Amino acid sequence: MATTTKIGLEIHCQLTGAKSKLFCRCSSDYRGKAPNANICPICAGLPGTLPLLNQKTVEFAAMITLALGCKFPDEIAFYRKNYFYPDLPKNFQLTQYNAYGITSIGVDGRLEYGNGKDARIRRVQLEEDPGRLVYASGSMDTSLYVLIDYNRAGVPLVEIVTEPDFADTKDVRMFLDKITSIIEHLGVCDTKLEGSVRCDANVSVDGGNKVEIKNISSFADVEKALRYEITRQRTMTSREIQVRSETRHWDDARKVTKESRTKEEEQDYRYFPEPDIPLVMLGSEFVSFIKQSMPELPDTRKERFMSKYGLSAHIAQVLIGNKELADFFESTLMIYLSPKEIANWIVTDLMSFIDERQKKEEEEEEHSLFAGLKVGPEHIADLARLVDQDMINRATAKQILGQIIRTGEMPSALAKRMHASRIDDVSVLAQTVQSVFQMEQAAVQDARRNANVANFLLGKVMKITKGKADPKVALEMIQKKLKED
Amino acid sequence: MVVTREEVKHIGWLAKLEMSDAELQRYTTQIEEIINYLNKLDTIPLEQVKPIAIKKKFSELRKDSPENFEDAVLGTGYRKDGFVKGPRMV
Amino acid sequence: MPIYTLEAGQVVQGIKSKEFSAEEYISQLFERIEKVEPKVNAFVTLNKEEGLDRARRLDKKIRDGEQSGPLAGVALSIKDNICTKGMKTTCSSKMLESYIPAYDATVIKRLMAAGAIIIGKANLDEFAMGSTTEFSRHGPTRNPWDISRVSGGSSGGSAASVAALECAASLGSDTGGSVRCPASFCSVVGLKPTYGLVSRFGLVSYANSLEQIGPVGRTVSDVVSILNVIAGFDENDHTTTNSSKPTYSLQERKGLRVGLIKEFTEGADPGVSKMIYKAAETLEKQGCKCEEVSLPSVQYALASYYTIATAEASSNLARYDNIRYGFDMNPEGYEWNSYFARARSNFGDEAKRRIIVGSYVLSSGYYGKYYLKAHQVRSLLKREMETLFKKYDVLIGPTMPILPFKIGERIDDPLKMYLVDIDTVVANLTGMPAISVPAGFADGLPVGLQIMADQFAEQTMLDVAYLFEQAAKVQRSPEL
Ligand SMILES: [Mg+2]
Ligand SMILES: [Zn+2]
Repeated sequence: MATTTKIGLEIHCQLTGAKSKLFCRCSSDYRGKAPNANICPICAGLPGTLPLLNQKTVEFAAMITLALGCKFPDEIAFYRKNYFYPDLPKNFQLTQYNAYGITSIGVDGRLEYGNGKDARIRRVQLEEDPGRLVYASGSMDTSLYVLIDYNRAGVPLVEIVTEPDFADTKDVRMFLDKITSIIEHLGVCDTKLEGSVRCDANVSVDGGNKVEIKNISSFADVEKALRYEITRQRTMTSREIQVRSETRHWDDARKVTKESRTKEEEQDYRYFPEPDIPLVMLGSEFVSFIKQSMPELPDTRKERFMSKYGLSAHIAQVLIGNKELADFFESTLMIYLSPKEIANWIVTDLMSFIDERQKKEEEEEEHSLFAGLKVGPEHIADLARLVDQDMINRATAKQILGQIIRTGEMPSALAKRMHASRIDDVSVLAQTVQSVFQMEQAAVQDARRNANVANFLLGKVMKITKGKADPKVALEMIQKKLKED
Repeated sequence: MVVTREEVKHIGWLAKLEMSDAELQRYTTQIEEIINYLNKLDTIPLEQVKPIAIKKKFSELRKDSPENFEDAVLGTGYRKDGFVKGPRMV
Repeated sequence: MPIYTLEAGQVVQGIKSKEFSAEEYISQLFERIEKVEPKVNAFVTLNKEEGLDRARRLDKKIRDGEQSGPLAGVALSIKDNICTKGMKTTCSSKMLESYIPAYDATVIKRLMAAGAIIIGKANLDEFAMGSTTEFSRHGPTRNPWDISRVSGGSSGGSAASVAALECAASLGSDTGGSVRCPASFCSVVGLKPTYGLVSRFGLVSYANSLEQIGPVGRTVSDVVSILNVIAGFDENDHTTTNSSKPTYSLQERKGLRVGLIKEFTEGADPGVSKMIYKAAETLEKQGCKCEEVSLPSVQYALASYYTIATAEASSNLARYDNIRYGFDMNPEGYEWNSYFARARSNFGDEAKRRIIVGSYVLSSGYYGKYYLKAHQVRSLLKREMETLFKKYDVLIGPTMPILPFKIGERIDDPLKMYLVDIDTVVANLTGMPAISVPAGFADGLPVGLQIMADQFAEQTMLDVAYLFEQAAKVQRSPEL
């Protein structure tokens, strides 16, 4: 039986690029601070305080709106979402809402995320992050009380809501990668910071009831949560058990979705417009200001990489898929301009080291791509130059990269040391070449007709000398000998 | 009946207000009377009227410069290691 | 005459000219407070030590020839829903019984910079929800003209403290008439500014889109001098108007056009209406042209007001869950829902009622029926008022449709209590300024004349108020 899956996403990105919180002057950088040291009367919800909307966050949310192909309304408004929870200082969240006219910053967008697939974006909205709860005994169930830290309360978030347009977890992964690359390129969110991107998802299988999964605290876990939930729903369907429409929570530790304790169906948010924040008029002047100040988006960058540097679509795609990688590439070009050579080194060789490292730490949070690798643009530039100038061949270059990535030594310095131990003594090398010619007589005959076969002979020389022969000198010797005999 | 006891009870749950049976009874009667009065609003056709609103330009919003609040924000009370103690979450 | 009876303007003059010291003045006031407070109950907290200390420092400044500010030495009471750093701000609620704000409201900063001295926090209905100051955790404030009667509310403590000569002037807050109602009941002057003229930063919110902080004084002149200090844009309140700081003055103006709202006088007690017609006559004698006008949408005003006010209040009051501040109740061991519900059951009766009504009108499916309609009524009313202001400089009527009633008389009938706000809510719904000035007495009880003007036309409104005050010469403070 063919099964259909429908997945929709609600993505929360902290606007870490903003210096202050959404409605107050406290720093938006709450990480690593002592509990409740990063608060003021406004974000702590003290009586008599009023929200002061941060201009930068509107600018950032507008950039995301444009990048996701959404439309702007003429004016935006904020709404109060009323519900009680101990992490909410005011017991309502300031957010945006679209029930009586459009008032959220973005609406009705569409984003192509790869392989010609796209997803509809329902809306983009600005809202505040709540505080953080810590359980006294480490677990919610056994703690007699909860510890509350309001340092995060009021940190600006952009929520991106998609239509249920994803058919499988791979699509979701690609979409999230694209979102990550976009917000990184816009400079609005540092996705490497723990908890800076979070996701809620809704899933239905075979036209059954929709289940919401909340609490997925990193993009890395989204696929896991979805796979678990899809399997759970399919198993139920196959046993002819009806899937209930409900909200489930992703259990980070056990990697399962579990029934939510609160009766969400009884929740009624009593939305109404926040009276303390005036409507913010956007208008065409604002839109053109945002268009002007938009940094280059990944898709545009890809085009540029192809047209300016002559990269293939595939190579360009891999580079722009991660802003760090693309930036690394361009920084390398600033030192030594050899785009194709450098792109190849980054995309094939460097990436394999990165993948290897990432596999090893598997469950670790996503931090810098180059973490633990002692390699910078200057190393790759140096390596590419050595290859371009025939100072070393590719095999040696790879060997060099494998070493310097751990030591941080410059490739040219290592090459020089390796060179010193090489067999460039002509008489020793001549003996080796002589013996190869005797062993491979058929190949020698071929090589006289076809110049390419000389490389085969060189390979043999290198093998016998365990790579210690200077390939340049050896090849010259082989070619000379082919002509002589 | 416009407002039922059950409705007031549900609202009490939403608004986190504990009410005794006697209170619930009294509030239901009083709130029904008030809601009946507010129902006046439903008798006027107002479809075309746009609500008034205060508006600001983007340029008038707060500039993004962080500032530390120097004074203690939270008074004393049930606290632990700088955290605020709250009730259990189960 | 004892110096505690002086108006604010006279106090500034007396202190600056060294006729008496600020310390003498403040000490005398505290003696007066000690004497009359047991009868009136206008104060929630007294600020005696710090008040005297500030007075001494002011005296030194004046001796040293330093600048002392336009309100130098003026003793003020502050409604206890306006935040004062380091001084309890209780909102007359158990929920904030020990709450000490970490910051000063903008108006407090401005008053202090102008040299004013805060002598205490004034009583109010819990979270400013009421029209009598009976819904206070600290007991009702009594009307200085007849202590068996209500002072009006919710700024009852503010108006009563001014009428009882316990301070020169006061700050109240006006959400649906809360400054003007007690001003009327206590025969003093109370002003509600245009929405956005005065910063609300530090005013504990009851209904944000309706309320403004406003001054209470014994004369129009005193109210003007306080308004001049507190008015103007504040970067901490996005709803204040970003324009140059206004300065108001007392001007003699003739030939002003006055509209008397007939719905207001028709709905009022005969004794009250009579005084308002008499006030209109007084204005005519001063060269004003008075005409009766109609404001048909006013019939929907109260329904609109109570929908919006309760809706906003239900959300504003959600933060009082006793976790960050409040009274002593250990959360340990409680399941959070029951802790919140238990702690919040300590709200008073009226606050609970308004939270329920407000949650009801906002709950699923009702938004369009109540909240949206209520906002449309605001537009409708504003349009009608604007049309009237094309023909008239000001609109007048009674501030309150009834005379101050006995304490306890209406407390068990919430709707009946709400109906007394009918004449005051219009100014809040439309955002327009309004002032209550003493109009005289009916059956020995005060009647207030309400004067309304177009948005930001405070000067015109004050011109009429001053003209009337000069002509009517109504008594301000009773024997106590
Ligand atoms: Mg959200
Ligand atoms: Zn803050």
